This record gives sequence, C-alpha cells and structure tokens, in this order.
Amino acid sequence: MIKPQLFLIISLIVLTSACDTIAQLFLKKSINKLNFETHGIKKILSSIGRLLLTPRVYLGGMFSLLSLSIWLYVLSKADLNFAFSLDSMHYIFIAVGSVVFLKEKVGFTRWIGTISIVIGITLVALS
Amino acid sequence: MNKKKLTLKILLFLIFTDCLETLIQFCFKKSAATGIDFNVSSIANALTFLKLTLFSPYLWIGLITVFLVFIIWSTILSKIDLSVAVPLASFSYILVPLVSVIFLHEKIPALRWVGICFIIIGIIFVSRSSKEKEALL
Repeated sequence: MIKPQLFLIISLIVLTSACDTIAQLFLKKSINKLNFETHGIKKILSSIGRLLLTPRVYLGGMFSLLSLSIWLYVLSKADLNFAFSLDSMHYIFIAVGSVVFLKEKVGFTRWIGTISIVIGITLVALS
Repeated sequence: MNKKKLTLKILLFLIFTDCLETLIQFCFKKSAATGIDFNVSSIANALTFLKLTLFSPYLWIGLITVFLVFIIWSTILSKIDLSVAVPLASFSYILVPLVSVIFLHEKIPALRWVGICFIIIGIIFVSRSSKEKEALL
C-alpha cells in the first residue's frame, strides 16, 4: 500500500520543481526583454508595473500557482524534510533551463557550485 | 543586460528574500496543516480542506509576502543570471540552522554540518562564476 503512495509523492515533487522552473524561466525571459530600471523605488515600481503588463508573466504565474497547489498538497501528505531533499533537484532544472532557454553561459565553476548545493541540501534535509 | 556582476548589495537583497521565503514556507505549512487528512477521492473532504486553508490568516500573510518577494526577486533578476540567482537563494538552508544554533541553542547533527559546508562551498563557486568574464566551458 505504501509503495504507490510514495511514487505518487515523488512524482508530484518532480512536477512541482518542473512547474517552478518553467515559472522562473518565463519571469526571467520577460525581465530580459524589458528595460528594467532599478535606480530608486519609483523606477523599480514602474518597471514592475510594465512587467505586470507582459502576458508571459501571467503564463509563468499560472505555472507558479500550479506548483504552489501541488506543493501544498505534498506538504500536507509528506514529511517536510523528505519533500525538501527531493526539491533540491530544482537547482539542476534551473541550470539546464537557463542554458537551453535563456542562453546563459553556465561554466564549469557554476556547475560544480550548483551540484555542491544540491548535495548539501539533500544532506541537510535528510540528516 | 551586460551588468551581470554580483555585488554585495544584490547578495544582501538575496539573503533578505530568503528570510521572506522562509516566512512564506512557514505560513504555508501552517495553513496546510489543518488537521484534516486531505483526500482527493472525496469532494466534500477536499472542500473542507480548501475552506479551512482559505480562511487561515497564515495563507494570506504568506500570499502578501509572495508579492513582496516578487518585486525584490524581479529586481534581482534584472541584474544577474537566473542560474546564479537561484542557487544563491539556497542561503536559507544555512540561515535557518545557524539561527537555531545561535539563538535557540539547538544541537545540529554532524551530517547536517557536512551538508551546510557543501552548500557554502557551492555558493562560493556559483558567486565566483558570475564574476568571471567568460565561462570556462
């Protein structure tokens, strides 16, 4: 009885990570296309306003909401530590997504750092 | 979009976002733990769960903080790469244990210290990578 339950929880955590990554990619893409000004709170707020007029942001927001709903469900079911340890693979998704969709240059140093963080979070969450 | 350098100011904002993020997680966990076993197969049960969650003040504090984080996070993202910002946001995994050691005098198992070291090394590597002019690969 326990096995299919566990499988469901794991798949849901992977799904949350994927949705969250897609949301971040959409947000970053919109910000890249926008001339985001950061000098002073007024400029920042007006940039946020223009950002909120971008359809892509809402697409990202939908994925974010989806991710949040699944995450809330997972938290009500699974152990917090277990959920967080698996959620750390989210960092790998982000790195791959940044390279593929945002054309960011992820060099050797950044990969080592990212993988080190994933190992660290897994250890922290499981200990 | 050539200003991709990670400055101390951005790092401090990232840490602040992390603190807020921790608050959000806490609020959502609080609002989800309604004492009802969430069961998708029963609609009545799911509705009760939804009702209890929606009327929890924790959910709303969490949601307001989400919007605040959205503003700060967007500003950070306009300055640095996504593949730098997200790993650096793992700061909270160090912050929470450190706070619980210093202020709550909690004992931390050895394995967790090893994990914290891994995260710190990772953060140093990732932040250095954004200072390099060209990626190594």
